[in-house]
Amino acid sequence: MLSVEPDILTDLPWGQLLVNGLALGSLYALTAFGIVLIFKTTQVITFAQGETAMFSTFVAFTLLTVFQLPFAVAFALTLLFAGLFGALIERVVLRHISTTTILNPVIVTVGLSLILLGAAGWIWGYEIRTFPAPAAGPPFRIGTVVVSQLNAVIFAVTLALMGVLYAFFRYTRTGIAMRAVSQNRTAAQLMGISINRMNALGWGMGTAMGAVTGMLIAPLNYLDPGMMGDVALKAFAAAVVGGLTSLPGAVVGGLLLGIFDSVVGFQVPELRNTIAFSLIVLVLVVRPGGLLGKHEVKKV
Amino acid sequence: MTGPLLEITDLTIRFGGLVAVDGLDLRVNAGEIVGLIGPNGAGKTTVFNCISRFYQPDRGTIRFKGRDITSSRSHEIIRFGIARTFQNVELCRSMTALENLLVGQHVAMRGGVIRDGLRLPGVGADEARATQRADEMLELLGLTRDRDRVVSTLPFGLQKLVELGRALVSDPALLLLDEPTAGADKQEIQGLADLIRRMRDRFDLSVLVVEHDMSFVMGLCDRLSVLDFGRRIAEGAPADVRNDPAVIEAYLGEPEVEVTEV
Amino acid sequence: MARWLGTRGRAAAPYGLGLIAVLLIPALLNVIPGIAPGYVLYLVSLALIYAIVAIGLGILIGHTGQFSLGHAGFFAIGAYASALLTLRLGLPFVVALLVAGSVSAAIGFLLGLPALRLSGPYLAVATLGFGLAVPQLVIWQGSWTGGASGLHGLPLASLPLGAFTIVFRTDQDYYYLAAAVLIVLTIFARNVVTGHTGRAFVAIRDSEIAARAMGVDLVRYKTTAFALSALYAGIAGSLYAHLLHGISPEDFTVLLSIDFLTMIVLGGLGSVGGALSGALLLTFLQNALTRLPVVHDFKNLYIVVLGVILILTIAFFPQGLAGIARSARLRWATRTVDRPAGAGQIVELGERSGVR
Repeated sequence: MLSVEPDILTDLPWGQLLVNGLALGSLYALTAFGIVLIFKTTQVITFAQGETAMFSTFVAFTLLTVFQLPFAVAFALTLLFAGLFGALIERVVLRHISTTTILNPVIVTVGLSLILLGAAGWIWGYEIRTFPAPAAGPPFRIGTVVVSQLNAVIFAVTLALMGVLYAFFRYTRTGIAMRAVSQNRTAAQLMGISINRMNALGWGMGTAMGAVTGMLIAPLNYLDPGMMGDVALKAFAAAVVGGLTSLPGAVVGGLLLGIFDSVVGFQVPELRNTIAFSLIVLVLVVRPGGLLGKHEVKKV
Repeated sequence: MTGPLLEITDLTIRFGGLVAVDGLDLRVNAGEIVGLIGPNGAGKTTVFNCISRFYQPDRGTIRFKGRDITSSRSHEIIRFGIARTFQNVELCRSMTALENLLVGQHVAMRGGVIRDGLRLPGVGADEARATQRADEMLELLGLTRDRDRVVSTLPFGLQKLVELGRALVSDPALLLLDEPTAGADKQEIQGLADLIRRMRDRFDLSVLVVEHDMSFVMGLCDRLSVLDFGRRIAEGAPADVRNDPAVIEAYLGEPEVEVTEV
Repeated sequence: MARWLGTRGRAAAPYGLGLIAVLLIPALLNVIPGIAPGYVLYLVSLALIYAIVAIGLGILIGHTGQFSLGHAGFFAIGAYASALLTLRLGLPFVVALLVAGSVSAAIGFLLGLPALRLSGPYLAVATLGFGLAVPQLVIWQGSWTGGASGLHGLPLASLPLGAFTIVFRTDQDYYYLAAAVLIVLTIFARNVVTGHTGRAFVAIRDSEIAARAMGVDLVRYKTTAFALSALYAGIAGSLYAHLLHGISPEDFTVLLSIDFLTMIVLGGLGSVGGALSGALLLTFLQNALTRLPVVHDFKNLYIVVLGVILILTIAFFPQGLAGIARSARLRWATRTVDRPAGAGQIVELGERSGVR
């Protein structure tokens, strides 16, 4: 049978959409790492990850512009700030929250995100600023597909961090201790591991991860208190789809979501979030523990 | 009704590679108190969870009053006349003792959100009837003083009693008791045996009790079934079971490694 | 109504006082010099409408233990359903109100189905997505929903009563309408949570295992809780649309969902009276903050305050205002009457179970 209609599927710039999706997806994955890290050690799902990342990025921006520090120095100082900031959040807020109901940490981290959002708006305002890119230069071209240097850097950083964190949890004493805490708090405590210290460390590392994310995302879009809103939401989804405890799961979830976003966003931009969230609900209903996570059945 | 009240045939359930219960046959006749005993990890609680329909067995059937309940849903079980307690007490912790006993009468009361919201005629009478019944049960168990206390503030022993009351108030034909002696001292254990027998006579019950306290079940039960590694290794009157070489072996040779009881 | 008040005795006293206040507020406002009674009444009406949502959300989160970060979505569904029915189809307001509530309840029921498989934070993510999706769908279907610019010029709310029709023209009229709906829905909610259904809800929250073993059908009760709370949000949405005479998608942001959450956390989870007081307090707080002369950046201040309220309440008063009121009452009771030891643990039955 002859068809006169153009074939819609082959007419799409599939290669470019795929690359864009992977770039977008690595942002989601990168942000999701922080959420996974914090959940893995403290069993708290943070709704504040996007906002701590945004806040840290503003700190970096201040170091760069007000204090005129070189990028590498500002980057390092921001990581340090974020690490301490995360630990402080754990020490001052979360340690005092009763976890008898699962709602409490959710409510508290929602509260944290609001405070950070308002504080950033207060301190830095809502004017849109540009953040210097760590990698600028002509984009790579592969055939008709264009990859910006920044996107390539983001992709590389995502994979590298996944590797580093994987090794950290597997081979270092601290990493193993953190895993032990997440698996059995009482047993870990009996082994002499300080739960409080591990929780603070988890928050510190997770927030520092967020700072890295923020500093990579800001040059891509712009810098403003709302910059992480959409990304954080998708990152959240990526973490949940991936299974919340699995770093590779977060990458798989993030990349899938990114590609999906890029392809669907290309055709029905209005429904990007709607379709993405329907998909998440579907995944969770079929696999309540996420794609690569373990679903824990409560013992009777 | 002829035949046993509860009849389990060839019950088998696996968790991953572990066979938790393996081809178990078990009967409870009307009016009987049957003990299901065995070392830690023998699969006793798993049997309960299969009867309560929290777990789906891989093979076998569970019949109650002649009716196959192997594929019933967990919330239907109490309607058939099977009520249970839990090893670690599963109460509604924010509720008072009285309210827990009202939850125990959930299926006996007419529901409906519109009926409740509009306080349609009959709602008040239903509540009053259920409250009266709960009060009677509290009195019977000596809990009247604790009627309006939030159960999470009660000592463990009283919590177990409230849980027993909650099961009894549903007017079951079969009561499943999971480790009733857990956390109790010697004197309380003796009282508990008397109480269970009294309840059996008063409410015309059959009881299936999971225990590992041998002396408790020896004094209480009409018949014992001994499980080890998910398999039945002995069955019969307490005196016979006590002297069964396989049982002695299972208890003395209880492995050091504790298989997680699921 | 009388019977309800009669059987509730002292627990109902605050509600009786509230009822008197409701009737007297308009008169009082006219007496106080220097304020615009119309505007204040508009504000109170808004607070009453939010209180309806908060009560419904409280049943879902506080009693049943199911999370929702997307109730602005149900609120939007109610508002849009009502606006479309009156504006496009010319249906009377009352019909639109009821249909809006029902549509929202039906969607709540449907959302409750996947929610059966999700717990805690997973459910929070899913409902957050729902809350985001609704305004997006509204914009997407712009040809009949008015898209990003919204729907405006809604007809006045009216209520046909036999031969004649009450039309709610002034802010005061509208205030009485919102108050009447709120009163009816508050009584309904209290009856539900203090009765058989409410006990099943709390049983699910406390222990799903115990609830199942006692014969509570989780599917039925969880979806009921979702549908009921969506019904409340939908009815409130309808009232909102007609109070403002117009709506647009940006009225229904994630922040509004968080507002609703803050109301019930502040008021006290698991308490109808708490949800009510939390909603009133937060709406007035929000308005008071916009009036602070020193603050030119209201939005930032407001969200910081919201965040602080959420954290401080959970950290120091997990039972919220209702909990504070309860312990104050208990202290009063133990001071005046010589109660036996352990009286401090006696829970006010009227507050949650209603069993006497």
